[in-house]
Amino acid sequence: MLIPNSEADAAYVIRNAAADGKHLSICGGNTRGLARLPARSGNVEPISARSLSGMVDYDPAEMVMTVKAGTPVAQVEQALAANRQMMAFEPMDHRGILGPHGNPSVEPTIGGVFAANVSGPRRFVAGAARDSLLGIRFVNGRGEIIRAGGRVMKNVTGLDLVKLLAGSQGTLGFLTEVTFRVLPVPPMTQTIVIFGLDDQTAAKAMAAAMALPVEVSGAAHLPASVRSRFLGGALPEEPGGGEATVLRLEGLTASVEVRAQKLAAIMEAFGPVARLGVDESRILWREIRDVHAYADGSEKPLWRVSVAPSAGAQLVAALRLEAGIDAFYDWQGGLVWMRMEAEAEGDLLRRMIRAFGGGHATLIRASEVVRAEAPTFEPQPDAVAALSARVKAKLDPAGIFGPGKMG
Amino acid sequence: MPEAIQFLPPRSEVLSRRAAIIADLAGILPADCVIHEGRELVPFETDAFISYRRLPLAVVLPRTTSQVAAVMKYCHENGIPVVPRGAGTSLSGGAIPQEDAVVLGLSRMARILELDYANRTATVQAGVTNLNISDTVAVDGFFYAPDPSSQLACTIGGNIGMNSGGAHCLKYGVTTNNLLGVKLVLVDGQVIELGGKHLDAAGYDLLGLVCGSEGQLGIVTEATVRLIARPEGARPVLFGFATSEQAGACVAGIIASGIIPVAIEFMDKPAIEICEAFAKAGYPLDVGALLIVEVEGSEAEMDAVLENIVEIARRHEVMTVRECQSATEAALIWKGRKSAFGATGRIADYICMDGTVPLGKLSYVLKKTSEITDSFGLRVANVFHAGDGNMHPLILFNANDPEEAMKAEEAGNEILKLCVDAGGCLTGEHGVGIEKRDLMRHQYTQAELNQQMAVRAAFDEDWILNPSKVFPLEGRG
Amino acid sequence: MQTSFTPEQLEDPHVAESEKILRRCVHCGFCTATCPTYVTLGNELDSPRGRIYLIKDMLENGRDADEEVVTHIDRCLSCLSCVTTCPSGVDYMHLVDHARIHIENTYKRPLADRLLRSLLAAVLPYPARFRAALTLAKFGRPFAPLIKRVKALQPLGAMLELAPKTLGNASPAMRGAQPVKGIRRGRVAILAGCAQSVLDPGINEATIRLLARFGIEVVVPEGEGCCGALVHHMGRENEALDFARRNVDVWTRQIEKGGLDAIIITASGCGTTIKDYGHMLRLDPAYAEKAARISALAKDITEYLATLDLLPQEPKRLTVAYHSACSMQHGQKITMAPKLLLKAAGFAVRDPAEGHLCCGSAGTYNILQPEISAQLKVRKVKNIEATKPDIIATGNIGCMTQIGSGTAIPIVHTIELLDWAYGGPKPGKLKG
Repeated sequence: MLIPNSEADAAYVIRNAAADGKHLSICGGNTRGLARLPARSGNVEPISARSLSGMVDYDPAEMVMTVKAGTPVAQVEQALAANRQMMAFEPMDHRGILGPHGNPSVEPTIGGVFAANVSGPRRFVAGAARDSLLGIRFVNGRGEIIRAGGRVMKNVTGLDLVKLLAGSQGTLGFLTEVTFRVLPVPPMTQTIVIFGLDDQTAAKAMAAAMALPVEVSGAAHLPASVRSRFLGGALPEEPGGGEATVLRLEGLTASVEVRAQKLAAIMEAFGPVARLGVDESRILWREIRDVHAYADGSEKPLWRVSVAPSAGAQLVAALRLEAGIDAFYDWQGGLVWMRMEAEAEGDLLRRMIRAFGGGHATLIRASEVVRAEAPTFEPQPDAVAALSARVKAKLDPAGIFGPGKMG
Repeated sequence: MPEAIQFLPPRSEVLSRRAAIIADLAGILPADCVIHEGRELVPFETDAFISYRRLPLAVVLPRTTSQVAAVMKYCHENGIPVVPRGAGTSLSGGAIPQEDAVVLGLSRMARILELDYANRTATVQAGVTNLNISDTVAVDGFFYAPDPSSQLACTIGGNIGMNSGGAHCLKYGVTTNNLLGVKLVLVDGQVIELGGKHLDAAGYDLLGLVCGSEGQLGIVTEATVRLIARPEGARPVLFGFATSEQAGACVAGIIASGIIPVAIEFMDKPAIEICEAFAKAGYPLDVGALLIVEVEGSEAEMDAVLENIVEIARRHEVMTVRECQSATEAALIWKGRKSAFGATGRIADYICMDGTVPLGKLSYVLKKTSEITDSFGLRVANVFHAGDGNMHPLILFNANDPEEAMKAEEAGNEILKLCVDAGGCLTGEHGVGIEKRDLMRHQYTQAELNQQMAVRAAFDEDWILNPSKVFPLEGRG
Repeated sequence: MQTSFTPEQLEDPHVAESEKILRRCVHCGFCTATCPTYVTLGNELDSPRGRIYLIKDMLENGRDADEEVVTHIDRCLSCLSCVTTCPSGVDYMHLVDHARIHIENTYKRPLADRLLRSLLAAVLPYPARFRAALTLAKFGRPFAPLIKRVKALQPLGAMLELAPKTLGNASPAMRGAQPVKGIRRGRVAILAGCAQSVLDPGINEATIRLLARFGIEVVVPEGEGCCGALVHHMGRENEALDFARRNVDVWTRQIEKGGLDAIIITASGCGTTIKDYGHMLRLDPAYAEKAARISALAKDITEYLATLDLLPQEPKRLTVAYHSACSMQHGQKITMAPKLLLKAAGFAVRDPAEGHLCCGSAGTYNILQPEISAQLKVRKVKNIEATKPDIIATGNIGCMTQIGSGTAIPIVHTIELLDWAYGGPKPGKLKG
């Protein structure tokens, strides 16, 4: 493993690798399971930013933070918490679900969060990681140090390489520094729980809730099969069904109270309703964020599926007819966490996604054997794949970063 | 007319084949979609950055994506530059053509294709105006969040090109944060789709790259955008201060307190007078600077937030606080603000800057800005999105006085450099266009520009699309 | 924006005025969005900003008008929606007026176009001729679909289709002063006008009845006639000014005779022009002052009624879609008064969507530009019908004819509803 000590050092290492035709696999803490993909070429050396660590600039009054890419997420969260601020996009921690691959002693890095565009339940109101990312420094495949974006929220000065690098899984450049927007932690959080809705009805209920002017900041549906995995099985019991549809409200205490009453009253039309207070809510949404239901220590294939919110439940229903799956829904149904009970069924899944209006599936967890057969990332249509390949070639002409990983 | 900014020299091989090109275009498109008579080309020679003008070779106004694709394929094969145009409201010259270019106008692709309330998306053709989306979905309780001041006229295609912002971006983000998918015609006429109704797209974030690419990566013909449930209520409140510095400090104070209103807009005295003359919105005329702070939600929520904001404003010696009393009044307050640039035309010609600075530098940059314009003997009016540091000094001048026009440009350049030096950027939401192109070096190194241009080349190797814009002409390699 | 006129060019007062107007435009493009022809055709050349640019180019270069420029200026409805929208205060109305005069003076239209325009100018402003023409049209109507198939004859076809199927009796002589009931509270003149008096004499009858009930003496002076708008919009400046001078003379005599509190106009299209007399005649030393006085006295009937404090009436359980004529909302900036009056009179008032867009009538536009006009009519009727009204009310005879030819919902003048609500007869169109 290459662990450069400075940005200049990283540039030097990468320049040499390009000259030598050596392939590099970029990772931060290597906690998300995606750095270890089988490469086309055998000659791949991991390179980590973990030594590029530390706060560069943080002015809470401006709600902007700049840190080196290898800084542990925990350290960032600590600094923010001290100022009652947060990364509003709620990056998940993958270590729980990765089972034997998730090494709890290794820290995820902030660079990894952005390189994988890791985003949580607040997606609707706070955007994804890429929406909070204002600026970056990275080393491209030529070993050149490039800055993109800046530290202000509005910026259209030139091409938005920030967005391009976010979510590129370390295949376009080696992030050395990130600047992102942070937000105040809402003083109050409450959750409205609706009981006993089947997936389709839950989809309707969540759509209805999101269309109300109450600013729902999380909408998830936990079918009976997963419900007991949340809050240590302590979600309040109601007769008539084990499903729980949960809606999060955040903000000033008085305002949340008013909105919660309004929302609960309207949701009663769908089923029995209960409310969770601030502490339980925070735990529940963290567990949803971290896909607690499937932190099961197994190697069963786990898919992260992104579709139109209204299509999530339909997709799952259709798949159930052909394969053994278990699933729960975040993002109002638009993010489906899907555990396959036997085969990975990548082809079937991806065919169904196309049939239900499009989207994509990422294989987050799988055994080495399964990985070798099912593409981790959604294969792209030819024209888009060709374009993506051209884009990659412009940042990494020698193709040294994660060959064969994306596109 | 001063011509500090150069265009690419026209491709002589294109100019010499003008008649044949027009005949070919007339073969590709219905007759009423091709404009080529000299007089009829004149109105297309510029956009809202009127200091610069170039007659195009022809203008085409296609009605379908396949017509757009056919035009692109033809122009690509024949090395003819293409300048896309929405409503032509660019303040940075993004839609100004050049002598060898075909202007590709999207104004006839103006249909709303689908409203999907279950997923809260609208799919529209690129020529649909920004406000049209919000107006159409308003009866059902939704809106489209980015609201550039020209939202009445500007198109969603143009918004994507410039990653447009607006007053309410403080809470809801800019175009790129509200865009889910596009249909994109590539330079060679291939049609691809990026994104869709799902919340994050697969593969590289090409959608994010296209947004804000100023028509240099392809032609967007359709877009899927997010709709948001309209808040129960919204209340703009006017805060008058004696000085711009106090108002600027108050903005920083509000944000630092952890309150994020939906919008914080700033107007200095000249801007207040200009806007009041048009909108008669009841802006206080006895103050040196004005903030429009909008809060939203239920009555109780708005009251609670406002109470905090008023408290902060008091600490910054606010002179007047005026809450608006009715929806009509609120509409007038916003009408005045959104018409500010145009209304400036009542008293002078102007060029509008768009630099963004960190909030803590707001007061400093305001002060330096007036020092710069003073040193050129010019007047300035400031009206801008203070909450996110996106400044819009309007430099006033007389367009019929070439010397003064030149000075205005020079002052503008100084101000933009100041913004970059203060830790900000050249443009927050208007785009680089032609206006700020030659200042790009002040913000980026040559290696950084080269990297951006290389990515650009992945889409358009031959610099066919909007070629005179964004990147300095020298050093294009 | 920047302009380039020579000092010699600027000696022409029309050019000097246009230059001043052009200097205000900052080319922001807001006007395109609310322009009916731009939203219909999607071509900037058919938008205010495009036309301003075409006019600027033509005037700066001192060029005669040519086919391209004329095409796009002719397509302008003069609805003045752009003037309402424009934040910079560009006086598009007077700019396009100037362009139309320039076209009329420098451009020779094709023969068919010339004949048609001469015919319209010779017939419409003269009630007796117009009445005779409409009687003839009755016989021509069956041939309208046939005629419309020939491109050059389309305007004729449009004209035949617009002609009302039945024509009321020739208005009984309403000249002279109409007595009031009870105490006299005021004295006004009313414009009898031209086309409206033929197409729907009931409008002014209702006005006079209503005003009389409120103690307002109404004079219908001998000698007045067309306000001049019809020919003014065709660029026939001399004819327009002649009409204006004649009316100025007539009303000035009335002012001298018994004083006038207002000159009441019941067709907003005429109102816009009469309010502009002061400007139109500003260069005529013999008339400038008199004309300005007349313009200051000119009032739309709703504008005048709003000053009389009419008492609120019992709700009528009738929904009225109020269509604001362009000349009303954009030309005269009267937006609230008609609706408030109707509400006070007990009607439920609805505002149709896209209220700022023209219905396509626009004087003689529906005859000269039948295709665009027809599209605008369809759009307007759709928006109005979406409010599910029992009645459509408006304040301009042109809109009444245009919209009335596209919907089965009865359309009446605002004043007819007000007259009914305050004790007059139910409007004829609402009976049966």
